[in-house]
Amino acid sequence: MKEIKVDVAVIGGGPAGLAAALEAERRGAKKVMILERDMELGGILQQCIHDGFGLHRFNARMSGAQYAQKFIDQLQDTGIEVKLETIVLDLTAKREIYACNSTDGMMHIQCGAVILAMGCRERTASQVLIYGARPAGVMTAGTAQRYINMEGYLPGRQAVILGSGDIGLIMARRMTLEGIQVKGVYEVMPSPGGLTRNIVQCLDDYGIPLHLSTTVTRIKGNKRVESVTVCKVDENRKPIPGTEEEIPCDLLVLAVGLIPENELSRGADIEMDPRTKGPVVDNNFMTSCPGIFACGNVSVVFDLVDYVSQSGEIAAAGAMRYIKGELPQCPEYREVIPGDGINFVVPQRLLKDCAEEDVTFFMRVKKPQKKVYLQCISEGNIIKKERHNSVAPPEMLASKVYVNGKGSPEFRIVEV
Amino acid sequence: MVKEIQKIMEDFHVKDANMTADERNIVTLSGVCDSWQTLIDVGHAVAKVDGVKNVVSDMEVEGLTIPKKNYEPYIKKGKEIGVIDRADVVIIGAGVSGCGIARELSRYNLKIIVVEMGDDVAYAASKANNGDIHAGHAAKSGTLKAKLNVEGNRMYTQWSEELGFRLERCGSLQMVTEDRLVPSVEKTYETALKNGVDGARMVTQEEAIQIEPRVEAELKRMGKELKAALWLPSMGVVEPYEVVVALAENAAKNGVQFLFDCTVGDVLHEDGQVKGVVTEKGIIEADFVINCAGVYADEMSWMAGDRSYTIHPRKGTIAIIDKTCPPLFSVLGGITTHEPTMKKNVESKGGGMCFTPEHNILLGPSATEVPDKEDVDTTPEDLAYAMSRNSNEQIGIGNIIRIFAGTRPADFKEDFIIEMSPITHGFMNVGAIQSPGLASAPAVAKMAIGILLDDMEKNGKRPEEKPDYDPIQPPKLDFRHMTHEEQDALIKKDPRYGKIICRCEQITEGEILDAVHSLVVPTSIDAIKRRTRAGMGRCQGGFCQPRVLELLARELGEDWVNITLKGRGSNVLICPNRENAEEGGSRS
Repeated sequence: MKEIKVDVAVIGGGPAGLAAALEAERRGAKKVMILERDMELGGILQQCIHDGFGLHRFNARMSGAQYAQKFIDQLQDTGIEVKLETIVLDLTAKREIYACNSTDGMMHIQCGAVILAMGCRERTASQVLIYGARPAGVMTAGTAQRYINMEGYLPGRQAVILGSGDIGLIMARRMTLEGIQVKGVYEVMPSPGGLTRNIVQCLDDYGIPLHLSTTVTRIKGNKRVESVTVCKVDENRKPIPGTEEEIPCDLLVLAVGLIPENELSRGADIEMDPRTKGPVVDNNFMTSCPGIFACGNVSVVFDLVDYVSQSGEIAAAGAMRYIKGELPQCPEYREVIPGDGINFVVPQRLLKDCAEEDVTFFMRVKKPQKKVYLQCISEGNIIKKERHNSVAPPEMLASKVYVNGKGSPEFRIVEV
Repeated sequence: MVKEIQKIMEDFHVKDANMTADERNIVTLSGVCDSWQTLIDVGHAVAKVDGVKNVVSDMEVEGLTIPKKNYEPYIKKGKEIGVIDRADVVIIGAGVSGCGIARELSRYNLKIIVVEMGDDVAYAASKANNGDIHAGHAAKSGTLKAKLNVEGNRMYTQWSEELGFRLERCGSLQMVTEDRLVPSVEKTYETALKNGVDGARMVTQEEAIQIEPRVEAELKRMGKELKAALWLPSMGVVEPYEVVVALAENAAKNGVQFLFDCTVGDVLHEDGQVKGVVTEKGIIEADFVINCAGVYADEMSWMAGDRSYTIHPRKGTIAIIDKTCPPLFSVLGGITTHEPTMKKNVESKGGGMCFTPEHNILLGPSATEVPDKEDVDTTPEDLAYAMSRNSNEQIGIGNIIRIFAGTRPADFKEDFIIEMSPITHGFMNVGAIQSPGLASAPAVAKMAIGILLDDMEKNGKRPEEKPDYDPIQPPKLDFRHMTHEEQDALIKKDPRYGKIICRCEQITEGEILDAVHSLVVPTSIDAIKRRTRAGMGRCQGGFCQPRVLELLARELGEDWVNITLKGRGSNVLICPNRENAEEGGSRS
């Protein structure tokens, strides 16, 4: 078994991991290693050939692959070591990694700090309780995207999409462009799951109907999908009998949510947040396990890649502080409170005696609202107030707050 | 007998009711029932009448077309092709019964061909069950089932050692905390004693805690004491498809031929002697035909001129729980505090909570009578039943990674049928092998082969044992269960084991290639899944399906669009994106 020592190991070479690795090196890490399970860097961005990436960060419209390439290009001038087709099998709380690939065999990597950037996976048909048969022609949007964009094959001719999250919307347009008839996008919630710009650009522009408060309840066809049954749902998301409609199709694409991939984190007994399904992190994006940091979609599912990269950089900065001994060995925390109208806030907590600094908080609201203020309150004072013309759960809010004092900051939505 | 049967049909308001009985007391019923459940109830009631050997149902249901398989296209195709081979024994069906018999029979100097309608072994009931190797405590005493269950359970140790599949003899501890629940445990114990279940005994709370120390903490948490506990040490679990694949591969190693996508359309017989089978791949002549056709066994028997039972499919739905919710105990069973909230089908054992050798919890199966033998649809009702068997508060709908259903091939006698047909010599029924068919499989094979060899001997044709028969199948490599040192050594020896294809279950390219290049070739994505577990994890193949598809296409020399999910007609991809596209295809 190969024994390896590194300053910073980054698990995952997608947008979060790439940004983290580059930032760690910029901040003086001598030996940075990226462990990537796929055969190339970039993660899921490589199959995102649509544009709209990098609006915030580069002030440009790029495809996912282009966005990733910007970071991959920067690697060349660095000493960052990249291990491709390398899977991490185990992570311990003592910052040890067991990973393997075909050329190195098994590696035992001892790390100054570990940055988790494994991303997320998609929910499946069984997880959203679609009943009926289990034929070919049922797949997640990501898998359909891979077949179409990377492998060059069509997985069907007539598609129904369940879920109006961004991936579902993007795939509605993508499949239409490839000649697949998209019969409709169905969304169990009363409001769309994706960004407004995607509703407009991916559905409205192509005349693809969006059916809200409607879900797919049943799949028919023993070999390939022959049809799906859709059904209106009540306010508790329960199907309303009598509203069933059978829609002939040969492909059901599921865009029903993303789940952070935290199997390695759980193996290291890292404390998880049931709301984000990611590790509980502090203002350095450090998990409950000292020296192990999390960023990108493994910490919380972001909707913009720009934020993913940003979280990678925050985590890397934290990792370097940790290595340099600038962080307390036994950290004490104060909680960040999701107040009225706020579903969750990441980071979930701040170091009790963290120096006065700017902290970026990422949060989602509970429901769509027009004309509101996002307020941050600490020790009874409003320390930040931002006006938003509209807020909605699919659009994550990022708010930079100058944190001082010792209080627990609380975020809340207040009507104007 | 006749009067009693007529009364039953009257009581159930069967219209135009009629019955006939042959000299064996096989009773054939006709008439119109008001529902499918009534038809099933009538069949069961008649089967219980003294003297009735079995029940054939020609009954119909008002307003319901009972789906019937049309065999004509298969017959036409087979006859056009003509005779393709001749065998001593043809086995219909590559489930655990068919493959078990094939493997046990392969020690003799016989030409054996297994024909299977699916694209792989364990295509139907043998894959869609919870893998329990039942102790034999649940089968009705005095039945063939009860006898073969206990015997088969014992024989599994040898099968597992020879064939290299995992058998976890975890035992079952059935514990109750309420006085009113004690009689049911005691009744199970009595049945276990009657059936001769190995090691069955009632244990005290202290003994229960010795067997499974975690019981103590759980009782403490519940604030309860055990009122009764039954220990069944012989209970075990397997991955059912692992068993069938191992049997098939060992059979193939010893000369058995397998034909997949090979539906039997007719059974040839002349003057009371079986002559062979007409399959969609041509006619195979044979001296013996063994019918292990699962839900279609009754139809095969009818084709052979021996219409002696009806299979009514009983669907079972199972929910698989993510490994992040491990089983509470290392034994099956558990602590019961109240009566089941949903009643199970009275004729079925129905299932509860159990786990696989990989320690995924399984909930179910349910037991629902359905008219269609191909109906393996999941329903909200069946899932509700499966979830009602959950006794762990930590587990909910959100922890499910997969729901699936299969059909049990039940007859109205609700017992196994293993016999040489008295009508058509050479045609042997191994029918109605429903639960505990998996646990009984070694004993079923032994009994079937006994009947076959006796018959051959009577005609002076007892086959010789092959000197080169090899009963051993080396265990499959499983990377995920090795130590890191072992994994390192394996990758050094063969780098393909260093490439993980299925992330969730940590399945390597090497393991998938081993499967593809085995003696019984898996050609679909699900067949690879059953052999290697690739795609069985929480992402359900979202990440690895394209890579498995790519490997299958490459290794089988097939175009991507020809690779199926689960056999004919289930192609994953339709066509390339664009005609004449220069680029595309895989990056590798």
